[in-house]
Amino acid sequence: MQQEGPILESLTRRLAETPEEFLAEPRIGQTGRAHVAAVVGDLLQLLNASAQADELARFAGSDARRDRNRLGITLLLCWLLSDDWFRQTKLEARNILELLDGESNELAVQVAARKFVTDPDRREELARVALARLGFRPAGETLAQAQDRLTTLNSSERARVMKAARAAEERARQIREALVRKAAEESADKFTRE
Amino acid sequence: MNPDTITDAERFPTLTEEGRRMLDFLREHPHAPIFRNESGNRLTADEVSRVREFERDALLAEVGWRPGELPSWLDDFVGQCFADVPFYRRYGSSSAKFQDLPTISRADLSRDIAQFVPDSAPIDRLINFRTSGTTGHSLLLASHPVVAASYLAFHKRALRRFGIELRYGRGQVGVVLIGFQRKCFTYVSVTPTMDESGLAKINLHPADWRDPDDRAKYLDALAAEVYTGDPIAFAELLKLPVQTKPRVMLSTSMTLLPAMQQRLKERFGCPVLDLYSMNEAGPVAVADAAAGGHVLLQHRLYVEILDDASQPLPPGERGEVTLTGGFNFCLPLLRYRAGDYAALRFNGSEPVLIGLEGRPPVCFRNMRGEWFNNIEVTHALQRFAIPQFTLHQERDAGLLLRLSGAGHDENQIRNSLFDLFGPGQRLVLERVPSFDGKVVQYTSDLVASSHESE
Repeated sequence: MQQEGPILESLTRRLAETPEEFLAEPRIGQTGRAHVAAVVGDLLQLLNASAQADELARFAGSDARRDRNRLGITLLLCWLLSDDWFRQTKLEARNILELLDGESNELAVQVAARKFVTDPDRREELARVALARLGFRPAGETLAQAQDRLTTLNSSERARVMKAARAAEERARQIREALVRKAAEESADKFTRE
Repeated sequence: MNPDTITDAERFPTLTEEGRRMLDFLREHPHAPIFRNESGNRLTADEVSRVREFERDALLAEVGWRPGELPSWLDDFVGQCFADVPFYRRYGSSSAKFQDLPTISRADLSRDIAQFVPDSAPIDRLINFRTSGTTGHSLLLASHPVVAASYLAFHKRALRRFGIELRYGRGQVGVVLIGFQRKCFTYVSVTPTMDESGLAKINLHPADWRDPDDRAKYLDALAAEVYTGDPIAFAELLKLPVQTKPRVMLSTSMTLLPAMQQRLKERFGCPVLDLYSMNEAGPVAVADAAAGGHVLLQHRLYVEILDDASQPLPPGERGEVTLTGGFNFCLPLLRYRAGDYAALRFNGSEPVLIGLEGRPPVCFRNMRGEWFNNIEVTHALQRFAIPQFTLHQERDAGLLLRLSGAGHDENQIRNSLFDLFGPGQRLVLERVPSFDGKVVQYTSDLVASSHESE
């Protein structure tokens, strides 16, 4: 975050206006439309960077249930990084790939991809995360301000996610217990049994 | 409610004095079996109203969609799944195209059913349905008394198709659920939406009776309007000197061969309906020869036929039956691969499952070296009233046919298989007294049978 980057609003607006092609279902197996590995390859070319085939393989996905959200976020980041400002900036392929893969993976556990388009806080978070992982901060902000705002966004979302995860686990436990109680075992009337 | 003790007041919250008399009659009849368990409808007065309302809707609703279209309720349902169900929420955002959504299987439900119970579903009165199945994935499914009671709406819809309206009520026995197993969950109850008509779930296995002759006597005393069961239980029923006749019989759980259906019709002089029903989704479809297959029963259940790569197949092509929707609000299904196989054909906007078979297809090889689907075997044997059978092809192409039930002409059965497999086919036919519950009907050691996925 040492270097000053673009105006934050230009990035959040770009995310809000993400075109359909970048919101398309990632191609995994035989379903989905967007070939994410190819999109990443095109982006790298656009940014005058390159990657080995095996580095792109991680963007193919193998299990839609596990990979579709992660790859959906990768697609959004591809759209974000194809902004003119990034095209005119020399970026390291290694950093770009780390952002597109590692960061997408982390964010996918917490947030549904589409929220990074529809929710203002999440748009800001994605834009700030992208800049930070590439070594930039929003134009007009000091390093401290940028770090502080990113931490606030990240930690409040993480806290929300952790709380929700704890509540979900507690409910799942209650459901498992309820299902093996005698009352549940006794079942209830049906005219047929399978 | 104390979770470990449950009282009759909780089993029958709306029980009247008439209902109590029915329970006593069913339990204390001199020819009654040894009831091993207790259960009840569990419905509160509000829930009885709710089930009645659901039944009205289910009977009036149109079931179906046009080829290439999706039902109008589907979008909202998918949205609710993504918002409200932990397992689906992990998919991330919903997809613009329904067919791009991931599929789930029995293995997913088996892993942790709690992940499929919506956040909004009340859990204080959860009930479970257990099923062992034949795939190695035993299931413990979440359900609710309202869901269990709602089965009847779809049974009535199936019956209405054949001109039958259920009419038994107070002081009469509405249904006897008949099993024939070494160990079986048995109990008595009343159905509040049918004015507390009686319900008995019995096991025809002699071990459950003080005297095996009591079986026919008890059934005659009950004179129920409906018998439900599987072909094995009905085969046992055929042996009993029962005098009374139900108005209709519903067969579930296993393939009901047409000849078996015909024998039951002749013996009991009533329609015998073959229901396609499963614990995961309830009654899905009923066989209707006039429609050429099984017609769907639920107005909020979308059925797709998928290939091995989860791609939807066009009408007429065989693939795996895949379900979305359903009426179990504790277990919303989103592209659930049911493990059964059929083709979907449309009579107008009415979808019909053609050639429905449980389990993945297995290929057999005939004497000319040609491969064909197991459905050909089903067709070859459909004129025999066999309650249950399995066919296995050995590595050397020899066949082992194991079958239960009596009274079949073995030579005719052999000849039917020789017609299919060709002269010179080696065939061992083995009679067994009974199978232990559901079985994997078709298996093969030959290479092309690698279609078997589980």
